[in-house]
Amino acid sequence: MARSNTPPAATLEDQLKRLEEIATLLDRGEAPIDEQLRLFEEGMKLAGACREYLETAELSVRTLSGEQTQVD
Amino acid sequence: MNEQPLSVGELTHAIKGLLEVGIGEVVVVGELSNYKHHSSGHRYFTLKDADAQIAGVLWRSRSIAFVPQDGMRIVVHGRLSVFAPQGKYQIDCAWMQPEGVGDLHKAFELLKEKLRARGYFDAARKRPLPRPIRRVGIATSPTGAVIRDMVTTIERRFPALEVILRPTVVQGGDTASRDIAQAIADLNACDVDVIIVGRGGGSMEDLWCFNTEIVADAILSSQTPVISAVGHETDVTIADFVADVRAATPTAAAELVTPVTASDLMQGIAALTERMRSDITLTITGLLQTATAFVDGRAARRLTERLHAKEQRIDDTTTRIARALTQNIAVRRMRIEHAAALLSSLHPLAPLQRGYAVLERNGQVLNAQSSLVPGDVVSIRRQFETATATVNNVDTIPTNTGEHYGTK
Repeated sequence: MARSNTPPAATLEDQLKRLEEIATLLDRGEAPIDEQLRLFEEGMKLAGACREYLETAELSVRTLSGEQTQVD
Repeated sequence: MNEQPLSVGELTHAIKGLLEVGIGEVVVVGELSNYKHHSSGHRYFTLKDADAQIAGVLWRSRSIAFVPQDGMRIVVHGRLSVFAPQGKYQIDCAWMQPEGVGDLHKAFELLKEKLRARGYFDAARKRPLPRPIRRVGIATSPTGAVIRDMVTTIERRFPALEVILRPTVVQGGDTASRDIAQAIADLNACDVDVIIVGRGGGSMEDLWCFNTEIVADAILSSQTPVISAVGHETDVTIADFVADVRAATPTAAAELVTPVTASDLMQGIAALTERMRSDITLTITGLLQTATAFVDGRAARRLTERLHAKEQRIDDTTTRIARALTQNIAVRRMRIEHAAALLSSLHPLAPLQRGYAVLERNGQVLNAQSSLVPGDVVSIRRQFETATATVNNVDTIPTNTGEHYGTK
């Protein structure tokens, strides 16, 4: 299936959580500028990864008999 | 009684002929008792009324569309058969059903009350659906509209999900019930976050497999939260009462397991990105302002420092010159005097000592080339005072007389 190079949804959740965290840190603006720039970069990268993951995600349907099948 | 005695086998064979051929096929109504669903899948029971009782069997291969319970009045259709090894006769049933449709409802109510009393429906033991949901187990028929609707809905809302389908018999009575119960157990072993058990609409008999104790037990003991999605909104089954969450339709169940859609997330991500961008822009703008102010301060300070350094150099030069003056007074007297005269003549304020004045207009010293016009406000700087004056009249002096005071 087309999921081999995409993270599992649990990781997506983690990434989104981190993204929220970064946005909050940047909102506060308390960190040194270097740190803020690093956070900003990390946040943008995360957002891009999440977006790409969601755009390319394909529903995987596996039947319990073992083999993976795509139900239309 | 002179006849040759029969063997047990011979007698039984004769009885068998009488019952199986002589009576054969029957439809019998009676009260169900000692109902036993053996692990082999065969069901054994006794059918009785006030006067008599008869054993019955319904083999595994034959399905029934309801959950038989002791005390129910049921109708069976079958053939009489004799089990020679035990000298028993029984009805080998082809089908069995409650007497009248009313009894189906009665059976439903009976089971419902029984399970309610046991706390199967208690709201307190129902679990909320977990968040996030990454893997969903579905127990339903692998063909038909139900699985297709669910897959389509999930795909549309949140395709980043994994669905494990356990093909399940969801039509009819106890065979389906056992498969549903087994499916719930199987999916529990698959590390799914939530299980959907469902099928499309149908008659009460069609849906009967969801009205059984075995399915209720399977849902109750499931480690994973169970969503029931049976039939249409108006169809209510025992499974719906026991399930952690009841979905009105299979599509509604698919929506329940995708509470946050991919497009929701996309919008959220866009909002977060925008927030970060404006935050960092604000921070950088602030920093730039601070930096500009800081650099300005530094530049001003550096300029002052440079000026001070220049002043010091001037002072040093003056000192050196003074030293040279005193040291070489005899030898270089003439040159020094000349240099001193030159120096003092070049000093812009030197003439003031001799009573000359310097004119300034708008804070600028007026040099020889500047000309005045009537109305000009000038400040007159003398050695010990300044005065402000307004020019009344200007007369040009012919240029060739300029020499008079130039080389004085």
